[in-house]
Amino acid sequence: MTRVTPHPQARPLGRIVAALPFVGPWLVGFLALVVYPFAATLYWSFCRYDLLSPPRPVGTANYERLADELLSGGRFGQAVWNTAYYALLSVPLSIALGVSLAVILSWKVRGQAVFRTLIFLPSVVPTVAAAVVWTWLLDPKNGLVNKALSIVGLPGGGWFTSVRESLNPADWSATLTAWQAGNQALLPFGSKDGLVLMSLWGVGNFMIIYLAALGNVPKQLYEAAEIDGAGPLRRFRHITLPMLSPVIFFNLVMGIIQAVQAFTQVYIVSEGQGGPAGSTLVLSLHLFRSAFRELDMGYASAMAWTLFVLVLAVTAVLFRTSRHWVHHQGAAR
Amino acid sequence: MNRAKPHRLAIVPLLLVAGVFTAPLVTMVLTSLKTDEQIAADPHRLLPGEWQWDNYRRAVTSMPYLRYLRNSLLLCAGSVAGTLFSCSLAAYGFSRMRWPGRNLLFGLMISTMLLPWHVTMIPRFLLLRELGLYNSLGALILPTFLGDAFFIFLLRQFFLTIPEQLVEAARLDGCSEWGVFWRIMLPLSKPALATVALFQFIAAWNDFGGPLLYLSDPDRFPLAYGLEQFVSAHSTQVNLLLAASVLFTLPIVVLFFLAQRTFIRGIATTGVKG
Repeated sequence: MTRVTPHPQARPLGRIVAALPFVGPWLVGFLALVVYPFAATLYWSFCRYDLLSPPRPVGTANYERLADELLSGGRFGQAVWNTAYYALLSVPLSIALGVSLAVILSWKVRGQAVFRTLIFLPSVVPTVAAAVVWTWLLDPKNGLVNKALSIVGLPGGGWFTSVRESLNPADWSATLTAWQAGNQALLPFGSKDGLVLMSLWGVGNFMIIYLAALGNVPKQLYEAAEIDGAGPLRRFRHITLPMLSPVIFFNLVMGIIQAVQAFTQVYIVSEGQGGPAGSTLVLSLHLFRSAFRELDMGYASAMAWTLFVLVLAVTAVLFRTSRHWVHHQGAAR
Repeated sequence: MNRAKPHRLAIVPLLLVAGVFTAPLVTMVLTSLKTDEQIAADPHRLLPGEWQWDNYRRAVTSMPYLRYLRNSLLLCAGSVAGTLFSCSLAAYGFSRMRWPGRNLLFGLMISTMLLPWHVTMIPRFLLLRELGLYNSLGALILPTFLGDAFFIFLLRQFFLTIPEQLVEAARLDGCSEWGVFWRIMLPLSKPALATVALFQFIAAWNDFGGPLLYLSDPDRFPLAYGLEQFVSAHSTQVNLLLAASVLFTLPIVVLFFLAQRTFIRGIATTGVKG
């Protein structure tokens, strides 16, 4: 029997031919489902295209419309704000919560495994189901969250029925003014804050990575610091945090990418509308609606490319700054 | 982290946090068992007045549940098969074979992981529609036969841990590349393949955007999409919504408990599958 297997010494072309059956399926997918769509989207972003007639070049009209809507607070501007708000609030909070949970879950107490399982469990709940549950939990009248807030004497928020924003000082001062006038007023927790709360419930994925990284921190570091008289807070600040910094960086980059792409939960809580009053119209939902509800493929393509360039720029900036705060000698990852 | 023995009160924050994280799930199950009247009259009472197991029957019969379930299982089986097929082959090509251009293509593949899905969504949709796959589960299954960067990366990392001598010895004994792949790599990579299968199963079970985009005929809907349709049609009957959500979530939770080790290892070693 003759062997046709090319050996590593075989000619370059022969080696490519030998590798093709293995990487072929992926290569087809890469060309047809990534490279071609990527280029087509770029081309269509300079066209008027409604699927019914062929794409018609219109120059930079779509981008001009985006710029216009961004500056005048049109729908695209609103979508950029909603997306930025969600990312700016959910990502730092998920890092803070993920690190804190990992630290307390690394304490060697009885039932540690049970605690870990209970806190991780929500992150396996499918997004569709989680969105249904949180819509109920955040119901302003009947939901558990406002009930819990009322037990500690707080008025609760309007959540998915409210356009208010907890990051917006004006919404807080309006609430305070109403209280001073003796009126009842909900806290300025609105629809986007509800989405953030929901995302924090699923922080378990990141927490597991923090836990693994904590397990890799050499014990001697803590022992040496303790001998030098460092208290728990200083040990956390000068040992734990630097050793976790590669994971924090990973969480930051992945968290932003995931936050920018968030779609399913937003679609469910707003029934695909992005409401109330556009307060949950995030970029991915606006893009989906522009493309498949309004058949405005050119405008949607221009938005897709703008989004892509934005994500790329943010990631590049993060990688650049990471040199100053991410320790790479630490946990072997 | 095993320093001084933790304080006895360390249990307090743990109990508190575990309570907060579990409360939504407990509320979900308990509310799904309440009567319509109790939810309307006394929504804050924790326990159901009478345990209304019938809600589950009502939820299942007020939508084509079995049909949705069948579609979900088809989708999961098809995409797990597709992913295992395409990703293990590509991972072998990227780890155990040397060929010109390999590193360049591998770098390109890794960079696609950071690509937002929006950028490819529209042409991808039109392409699959052109192939006659609109309104068919095939539109969701076919792409899995064409590889996924995350899973290829995961498998490649695992393949690289298998000793080179083993591969060399097999080649010297006259084993072809296919033989090495099939008789050595795959059998030795069962844990990694299990991780990939598990993650892909869950991704397909949970996928909402795909069915929303590609399916129009309710007969073809998988559970994730069917549940959303049910939610928008019955948004006032919270107990039924939550009963349906429990039924949708339960298989994943069971899977998690059965395969906990595979699960945690997969996440801890490779990051999060987004």
